[in-house]
Amino acid sequence: MHRFILKRLLLLIPVLLGVSLLVFAIMSFTPGDPAQLILGENAPAEAVAELREEMGLNDPFVLRYAHFVGNAVTGDLGQSYTSGRDVFDEIFSRFPNTLILAALGVLIAVVIGIPIGIISATRQYSMIDSGSMIFALLGVSMPNFWLGLMMILLFAVNLGWVPSGGYSSWSSLIMPAITLGTGSAAIITRMTRSSMLEVIRQDYIRTARAKGVAENVVINRHALKNALIPVITVIGLQFGMLLGGAVLTETVFSWPGVGRMMVDAIRQKDTPTVLGAVVFLATTFSLVNLFVDLLYGFVDPRIKSQYA
Amino acid sequence: MAVGMAVVLSACGGAEEAVKVKDTLVVGQGADAKTLDPHATNDQPSSRVAVQIYSQLVETDKDMNIVPGLAESWKSLDDKTTQFVLRKGVKFHNGEELKASDVKFTLEAMIASPTVAHIVSAIDSVDIVDEYTVNVITKEPFGPLLYHLTHTAASILNEKAVKAAGDAYGQQPVGTGPYQFVDWAVGDRITLKAFDDYYGGKQAIPNVVFRNIPEGTNRAIALETGEIDIGYDLEPIDKDTVRNKENLALVEEESFSVAYLGFNTQKAPFDNVKVRQAISYAINADDIVEAVLMGAGAPSSSPIGPKVFGYNPEIDRYQQNFDKARELLAEAGLPDGFKTTIWTNDNPTRVQIAQVLQAQLRQIGIDMSIEVVEWGAFLDGTSRGNHDMFILGWVTVTGDADYGLYALFNSATHGGAGNRSFYSNAEVDQLLNQARTSIDAAERKELYGKVQVILQNEVPTFSIYDQYQNIGIQKNVLGFSMAPAGHHKLRGVSFAG
Amino acid sequence: MSQEMTLDPIQGQLEKEPAPEIVAKAAPKKRSQWLEVWSRLKRDKMAMLGLVIITIVVLAAIFADFIADYETVVIAQNLSDRLQGPSAQYWLGTDEFGRDIFARIIHGTRVSLMVGVLSVAIAIVLGGGLGAVAGYYGGKLDNVIMRVMDIFLAVPSILLAIAIVSALGANLMNLMFAIAISSVPTYARVVRASVLTIRDQEFIEAARAIGASDFRIIFRHIIPNCLSPVIVQGALGVAGAILSTAGLSFIGLGIQPPEPEWGAMLAGGRQYLRHAWHVTTFPGLTIMITILALNLLGDGLRDALDPRLKH
Repeated sequence: MHRFILKRLLLLIPVLLGVSLLVFAIMSFTPGDPAQLILGENAPAEAVAELREEMGLNDPFVLRYAHFVGNAVTGDLGQSYTSGRDVFDEIFSRFPNTLILAALGVLIAVVIGIPIGIISATRQYSMIDSGSMIFALLGVSMPNFWLGLMMILLFAVNLGWVPSGGYSSWSSLIMPAITLGTGSAAIITRMTRSSMLEVIRQDYIRTARAKGVAENVVINRHALKNALIPVITVIGLQFGMLLGGAVLTETVFSWPGVGRMMVDAIRQKDTPTVLGAVVFLATTFSLVNLFVDLLYGFVDPRIKSQYA
Repeated sequence: MAVGMAVVLSACGGAEEAVKVKDTLVVGQGADAKTLDPHATNDQPSSRVAVQIYSQLVETDKDMNIVPGLAESWKSLDDKTTQFVLRKGVKFHNGEELKASDVKFTLEAMIASPTVAHIVSAIDSVDIVDEYTVNVITKEPFGPLLYHLTHTAASILNEKAVKAAGDAYGQQPVGTGPYQFVDWAVGDRITLKAFDDYYGGKQAIPNVVFRNIPEGTNRAIALETGEIDIGYDLEPIDKDTVRNKENLALVEEESFSVAYLGFNTQKAPFDNVKVRQAISYAINADDIVEAVLMGAGAPSSSPIGPKVFGYNPEIDRYQQNFDKARELLAEAGLPDGFKTTIWTNDNPTRVQIAQVLQAQLRQIGIDMSIEVVEWGAFLDGTSRGNHDMFILGWVTVTGDADYGLYALFNSATHGGAGNRSFYSNAEVDQLLNQARTSIDAAERKELYGKVQVILQNEVPTFSIYDQYQNIGIQKNVLGFSMAPAGHHKLRGVSFAG
Repeated sequence: MSQEMTLDPIQGQLEKEPAPEIVAKAAPKKRSQWLEVWSRLKRDKMAMLGLVIITIVVLAAIFADFIADYETVVIAQNLSDRLQGPSAQYWLGTDEFGRDIFARIIHGTRVSLMVGVLSVAIAIVLGGGLGAVAGYYGGKLDNVIMRVMDIFLAVPSILLAIAIVSALGANLMNLMFAIAISSVPTYARVVRASVLTIRDQEFIEAARAIGASDFRIIFRHIIPNCLSPVIVQGALGVAGAILSTAGLSFIGLGIQPPEPEWGAMLAGGRQYLRHAWHVTTFPGLTIMITILALNLLGDGLRDALDPRLKH
């Protein structure tokens, strides 16, 4: 078990190196000069040149990358080009906002998705099945910034129940979390349904039914546990993905999260911030996946034995 | 009118309102500040916050006259030396008193900062005469000096505070302004509170919060729901909604900002002045102002706005005339038009302008495709001259023609420094240099007037419109006035009732 | 979530590939197998509904020019008629330039379908090829390819999109490329998983025994037998790509105006949401219905291709 975890963590190293190299290369070799972007559209050429030198942008690519890796290993992700802040501080000042939104979004998705998926699977091809599947599919089919804007109009402007954006209180969380949760709910519903369908057809369920075990017991005690394994994977993936920040939702709700920070940084060619954010998110994503894999072990002891 | 309404309103709702006194003014703008160190950035969202925290030596009033700021008086000792006498007893937010040494420190730090050095590049040295008197000496006689010193980047800093904070100064700014820094929730809001010892007197509103609300639609919504008291830069389409709500008001005024269509004058066919004129005759700027801005602008005839010192009001603008345009194209040897591209960044207004231009130029046979270019790549490409045509705006922040015309049209500033149309004209160069080194206001005005006549004839850039800036405001907010450069001072603002 | 694009746009569907053993059970390609799939699909009402909608969309794309002229209706501006509500003249109203929204939606089918289908095709070719090679050869090569895929998966697709667009320019081709690149790892994983289960099967060994080259084995025997998960993933991927385009348009990375594209229409009209509801509503509904249809069809295909779900 420990060796399994260790191995997974060690695997992270080459991936992070590769990711940072790729991102560094993208930021370095695409057009757009960070110095020019900082100085604005009317800066004299000498000022730009001077700032480039000061920022070390004239050093060779390999040297700059090595410099980044060297510092990153000691936990120093550098300073943002635009704000001068420590990238680490900048990420951590926003990450809690992203975390709480992602967690709530996934929670909403699970609360909606799993029951609907189960009901839909146990009554395959019924009206309830078709209806809930269409409902679920509408969730993934809707461009979510559109959904977000519509919700703002209804709940913030017309009804005045919740703030239209920003993060001032708990009520600020409701709409962005629902917007994020809808898409995930749809995905979780579909996964739960198809996983349940597979499990229900298996022999041991048939046996249980044949023995006259009550249907709700069959479903809840026998089928559900096995059906949930792939669902957990999807929940983990969704959570990991929402942690990466949800640029559109954050924009629509003026939410101070990591996604928006990253997009702004990309456009400002703020390489340290982009690198820091990507490395941080890739790590988080991998850790969430690792956690999900470990969780399998508790749901299904057979899998646990593979870790050894 | 707005004030009258507010009084009536507050009289009606007085009974309930009296219980909770509003003590925080919330302002919504389209981006978070980057840093509150005025020497480290020159972007609008940062300036809009910084201007509440800092003061400058001199300021401009509504009519763009120079008025005292931290300097209570000033005089020219010779054509290169200006002497400033500071107000006595001005306190910084850290309790230090403003001294001549702070002014010297600030201006020297500015000159050393690549970000803002160009604003004070004319300054040669700063000499301390006594604790409250300082001489600013320019390399050459420099007419627009006072205007340049009104720039938010020329905010006076406290030497001790800057040195103590080091790299973190941008997150713990110390100024002499009406509000002092309290807290910054990055990406969300910056909180300020009234400074007790402000030299202009303590402000009526105890707290000010700047919120980052990226989408224009959301700023209008937040105004309606009362989440913010002032919303900067509303979308044109939302103006009527704000205007028609009984508790909201719309403030709309001219600004220093002009949107223009630039040509790469070193690239065929735009090296031919007739082609540029033909395009100018094909454009209907009224349509653009109407359709894209919903009237929030005025078709322009000069690269600098009417409020800027040196503006020439006597220039005619191009009126749409397709026959004339086709004639000019034919004279240029391109009777059937040509294919070209226009660059714009992803600013939705600019993309829309490009689309209207595209449709208008199609009428004279010019097949113009629109390329929406990332801002970084846009700046990069246009400073290298890779473009054909482009859309950009210019804000003459200092309110003096030099800041606009010199950068945009002097052959010394080709490319990134501002002249992205790569325009070269010896006469224009000479006039601009002469106007810059003159300290006679009337003479400068005349010289700039001449430059604008030449520019309107040669159209290296076609000035599309002078942009109005708008702000949505709750009617119970009193005493707000706009700054044409965009960084509005909240000094003196109060709530009704 | 697909349209957020922070990671792989279709990652949400990643785990829905049929489990490897399903593919293993599938016999080598036979005509009758596809007929059987079709007959199963026909019984699925939801999937058929999806198929009908998609057929209509495809027909609209083919006959767009007969419905509305591109030069004079779709891109011609009519500034005096801007932001008009639906009427007899303009069935779905006009946009901010006074252009007929109905005509733009009809012509937009071409753009949106092209972006969707081509970007998925690019991703399948690149990802599928890499996945097949990784799965077939295994060992070090497999390891290297899949680690590189992990790296691509970890780079936010929005960064890739912005990078590609700022380096190569914002046009349809680059946009498709940007969307494709970010879903390459997904297809690589799907195909690799299938290949792993197939490569040791008897019929592959038989082919090898009679001296078939690796190239021939991969293209004649292995790839045809991993088509089912790829088809399912592809149908869902087209949906994801159309949503991604809308998302990219929202942050200003859409296609070149005046080309009508649903996502750009939706994103561009958002500032008019409160004043001219139709500008966003109709493109929004069009996207929603099309995506819904693609999802219905994709789900139906998955059920139909999965022998264990036989009735």
